[in-house]
Amino acid sequence: MKKLNYDVVVIGGGPAGMAAALNAKEAGATVAIIERNDELGGILNQCIHSGFGLSYFKAELTGPEYAERFINRVNDTDIEVYLNTMVIDLGPGCQIIASNQSGILVISAGSIVLAMGCRERTRGAIKIPGSRPAGVLTAGLAQRYVNIENCKPGQRIVILGSGDIGLIMARRLTLEGMQVLGVYELMPYANGLYRNIKNCLDDFDIPLHLSTTVTNIIGHPHLEAVEVAQVDKNLAVIDETREVIPCDTLLLSIGLIPENELSQRVGIGLNPQTNGPRVDEFLSTDQPGIFACGNVLHVHDLVDNVTLEAEAAGAAAAAYALAERSGEVGNNALLKDTCALIQLEAGENIGYTVPSILHQPFKREARLSFRVKRPLTQARVVITSGDQILYQGEPRAFKPSVMEGLWLAPDDVNGWPSLERPITVSIQEV
Amino acid sequence: MNHYDVIIIGGGITGTAIAHELSKFKLSVALLERGTDIGIGATKGNGGVVHPGYDPTPGSLKAKINVQGANAYPQLAKELNFDIINPGIFVLGFNEADRAALSHKLDFGIKNGVRDLAIIDAQTIHAREPHLSEQARFALYAPTATVVDPFEVAIAFAENAAENGVAILTGQPVTAITKTATGFVLTTVRAQFSCGYIVNAAGNHADDVAKLAGIAEYTMKPRHGDLLVFDKDMGNKPQTVMFPCPGPDTKGIACIPTVHGNTLVGSTATMKDDKEAVNNYAPGIQALIDGAKKIVPELDTRKIIRSFAGLRPVVLDHNNDFFIAESVTVKGFIHAAGIQSPGIASAPAIAELIRDLLDNAGLKILPKANFNPYRKTKTVFSKLGIAQQDELIKKNPAYGRIVCRCETVTEGEIVDAIHGIIPAQTLDGIKRRTRAGMGRCQGGFCQYKIIAILSRELGLPSEEILLEDIGSNLLCGSMKGGALT
Repeated sequence: MKKLNYDVVVIGGGPAGMAAALNAKEAGATVAIIERNDELGGILNQCIHSGFGLSYFKAELTGPEYAERFINRVNDTDIEVYLNTMVIDLGPGCQIIASNQSGILVISAGSIVLAMGCRERTRGAIKIPGSRPAGVLTAGLAQRYVNIENCKPGQRIVILGSGDIGLIMARRLTLEGMQVLGVYELMPYANGLYRNIKNCLDDFDIPLHLSTTVTNIIGHPHLEAVEVAQVDKNLAVIDETREVIPCDTLLLSIGLIPENELSQRVGIGLNPQTNGPRVDEFLSTDQPGIFACGNVLHVHDLVDNVTLEAEAAGAAAAAYALAERSGEVGNNALLKDTCALIQLEAGENIGYTVPSILHQPFKREARLSFRVKRPLTQARVVITSGDQILYQGEPRAFKPSVMEGLWLAPDDVNGWPSLERPITVSIQEV
Repeated sequence: MNHYDVIIIGGGITGTAIAHELSKFKLSVALLERGTDIGIGATKGNGGVVHPGYDPTPGSLKAKINVQGANAYPQLAKELNFDIINPGIFVLGFNEADRAALSHKLDFGIKNGVRDLAIIDAQTIHAREPHLSEQARFALYAPTATVVDPFEVAIAFAENAAENGVAILTGQPVTAITKTATGFVLTTVRAQFSCGYIVNAAGNHADDVAKLAGIAEYTMKPRHGDLLVFDKDMGNKPQTVMFPCPGPDTKGIACIPTVHGNTLVGSTATMKDDKEAVNNYAPGIQALIDGAKKIVPELDTRKIIRSFAGLRPVVLDHNNDFFIAESVTVKGFIHAAGIQSPGIASAPAIAELIRDLLDNAGLKILPKANFNPYRKTKTVFSKLGIAQQDELIKKNPAYGRIVCRCETVTEGEIVDAIHGIIPAQTLDGIKRRTRAGMGRCQGGFCQYKIIAILSRELGLPSEEILLEDIGSNLLCGSMKGGALT
């Protein structure tokens, strides 16, 4: 067994993990990244389409290009990178047990950044009836097969769900000569970004069927067809619209779930709305010294936002570890009981906020992220405490596919009432 | 043409238990399974409860077999090294009509010889199950009841049988049976075999197999059941197997803790005509959720990771009983048919009964001195302590490469399964032996890795790797100019 020691250990070497590690390093911490796959970059490596980095780098990059910029930066530092290494347990006091082909690693960390990303929702989660044949797979797995493994999943494809990965795969499979018969979306609006609907479906004449879902999976041992049907405004299937579509592959792009099984092993409190940890403005979880960022915290639509969030988490994790190392932890702003707490509540039209806890004194600017639950054409962000309006944004349109961000400044937050009652963030129609 | 004293047709839990029992004796035995693996029919489509035996009518064959079989499980689990838990069963009563029905079951159970049965009060059941519905007022408690993983048990029976000399042959659907002067000749899609005796354990197809030998003593239909699997990390998990008070044809929809820490909800019970359609049906899934919520109202349905279904073999016009007997028309042909619930619990006792029927039919059954009752142990990385894990990886680095993150399954374990005494040759074969792909991502992250390992170890291109049955190819070819190297 190998025993190791770092100020900051980052679990996950995707875009979140790399950005967190780099900022922790910059803050003066000793840093390690633990990555379960055989290369850094995470899911970006299979996202060979462009559209990454528009806001962060002001350049349009492919996934591997975006990843490469960070991989190069990591390689230029003395950040220790453990590839093909899987964390199998987390213990109290930032103890990490990991496994790789050299043996078991027992790692003591000053602080930990969770950056494990998310997984795709599966068929089981939405309980599609029918047979259980070969030919039903998640869009991300199909992307891996096509873009990295050089394997073809099928020839006639139906896609359920209008998430971004599904839209991207509709175009990708079409370009590779497969026949994409249509994208079916249960909701009356698309779940993916507008630019992906336009560039991936409209430009290739792939039909998008809204308020329509897959109601039966047909064929054994291999998929032969799916039955689709329209749904009414209560999402109930309209029987007379049932239609059988012969196909050999069903791709599912029906949502992403943060992967917090490790977080739960150390008792980190999760937000049931995001399935990610509850965090404060430092992106600290409720377990001392454990921070979270990226898709393990909440599902992002743009990697640029992941990078920004991860940089903040990395810097905070380094500050925590370095303060602890120098015995100053008692004076650290991160130690919650020295600060007044503000609970943020998700109000009208929004599902959640990240962070959901703020401290007073609020020491530096932090980004508040949230997502609207349904499309709104004219609405604004409103922050209230009881009847008192603390903030009111400009009226504009909101879409569920776009993560919203609001920068909170110390002057604003320090003026807010704390403790007595939660502060509510909502998006109100005007 | 290979000759055996006995050929067993069907590699479900019944057939494999029989193979295991016969492997204790000086006999040459083969088991022919039509599928690509054993345990993939009715065996894989049920909840894994080893029913203790308060259901069957006292004095019936089923009653005797059920209790005897269930009692054999704890010792078998030690010898064959399979997982078993002892959560006990609550059969819940919600009203006075239920009380009468449960007293009746209690009486059956006592007469059948089930140990430690009792009717217990609301306080006791709610103390043990804090998330149980307030409406539950009492329960029949069967503390000895156990739960197993049915396909793990079938694999364990088959592997130990193979270790003791039984030929376990998969991919061998029997297409013809001819009676000869000394026994039978069986034709499969691959070969011909001769034998002195046939044991028909062909599950839902037992009547079809019997017909091949000219026997028309019964007709079968499947009873279909939907089941749901919940994530291990679900809150409000039941600790006890909890059934509602049973109806006339079914034990009802139960919440079942599994040996691996998941929760199962199952099952529905509907007679069907199609013996192959192991589908899930929307009304069935809804019935499961409604049924389970009567037991655990706060059940978190967002934690459902999979639905599956099973077809239980029912011999028609036979009082829902097993059909275990030598054919009256063709001597030497022995039926182990209609093994519906409690088939898992009964399997060990059915195997002993079949042994006795073979004995009565004239087969010479002599104990084998070198029978080894202990199945070769397999490495399960996730169950080891870190010092043992480290030692294991030092010996073979493949145990340090974790392929399935949800269930912590290593490449070493997957390779072991592929080269086991009954080799896993499909994605589902690996899943059943190692749990790779069984977790919350349902293979989304590891499927491509397992296909690559199967492809490498079996020397097959990836497009020939199967999910399970012939024709269930997971991929249809390469994108451009062959696979990357």
